[in-house]
Amino acid sequence: MNTDINQTITRIAEIIINELKLEDVTPDTFDADLDLVDEVGVDSMDLATIALVLRDEYGIRIDEDDYPKLTTIRIIAEYINNKLTSGD
Amino acid sequence: MKTVSSLLDDHWYERYKKISKLNIRSSIYDVTDRCNLRCKGCFFFSSGEHERASEENDVSKWHTFVEKEMDRGVNLAILIGGEPTLCLDRIEAFYKRLPTFCATNGLIKVPRDRFPDMMVGLSLWGDEADEKALRGKDTFKITSANYAGDPHAYYLYTITPKQLGKTGKIIQKIKDIDLKVHMQLLSNDEGIDGFSWKPEELVDVRAEMDAMLDAYPETVISSKYYHKVITTGQMLDRKFGWMECPSVTDPIDKRDPRPKRLTNFIRWASDLETMHRCCTSETRDCSTCKDGAAHMSWVMVNKRAHIKTTEDLQNWIEVYEMFAKLYQFIPW
Repeated sequence: MNTDINQTITRIAEIIINELKLEDVTPDTFDADLDLVDEVGVDSMDLATIALVLRDEYGIRIDEDDYPKLTTIRIIAEYINNKLTSGD
Repeated sequence: MKTVSSLLDDHWYERYKKISKLNIRSSIYDVTDRCNLRCKGCFFFSSGEHERASEENDVSKWHTFVEKEMDRGVNLAILIGGEPTLCLDRIEAFYKRLPTFCATNGLIKVPRDRFPDMMVGLSLWGDEADEKALRGKDTFKITSANYAGDPHAYYLYTITPKQLGKTGKIIQKIKDIDLKVHMQLLSNDEGIDGFSWKPEELVDVRAEMDAMLDAYPETVISSKYYHKVITTGQMLDRKFGWMECPSVTDPIDKRDPRPKRLTNFIRWASDLETMHRCCTSETRDCSTCKDGAAHMSWVMVNKRAHIKTTEDLQNWIEVYEMFAKLYQFIPW
């Protein structure tokens, strides 16, 4: 399970870096517990962009109502894994 | 990677934390198509927007409409017009449910027993001479009597080129009646002779706005970065215009690529069905638009672009604080 979540975290970090064109950070150095909204300045438009890529990548739908909860890469990874496990 | 906490000291980080979760989602509503003034340069009448829709006169429909707006996530109603205070029942439909801001010429006093803490923005277009020239009467005489000392009212001072060198006198008068003031610039939609900005005047007015903020820090609600952005039309390395404006009505926003914008923003006409293009008139040239709310929103929605240097981020915080104060999401 840990391996799975770590892989998901790394992939999400990669997506966020690419989509938001973040500088001076790599998927390996991106702190999975960093608050994306408060610390990186990610907003709802950014989250919508990321959500579209995640939907295509993982075949899951991220409800807009859930955006406020998705504050760190780890939380997003757990959210995705839960969706995949429950088959939502 | 630059993060907020890596750029701010404790003092600024505390200020940031007070605004970072506000998540303000505003929309703008024409309460009526009528006004008790006809100001030269008013975009609403000069653009013909007052004839775009027929007012919804059934107050119950306004109540239902506001409920739907809340379902859309709106948490700040900005009421404009026409003159909203001509229709207090419609205002009440918003005020009973939402943080509500009412832009008014102030000639009709909002009854405070009915709207005790509603934010009221009083339009002011200059000194007595300019008020008479542009609006037909010196509204300050009336509005100052109506609202002196009101903790939930402030002046929206639209500075024109004719006001250069005179703003201090006006702001002192506002201070004397214990009100606050926010400064914005006339866009001169009707091309009134002598009221369009020349480049050198924009340089001068920026310096004057900065000086007013320094001289009256308790009275003027503003920020020097906002002054820079609104007078130059420049934010970071970007120029304001149609492809950058954050205040375009969401369902009819077909821009590609979509810029950073206000989430779910709509400017509704008074029939509660028609949507206007943006927060001002669609006849306006966006490249010369001086709308204050659009420019401060432009900064606010571009938070990540300001997480580059300490100065950029502090500028962003000051603009966001200014907006939050003007709509009382945080105290003065």
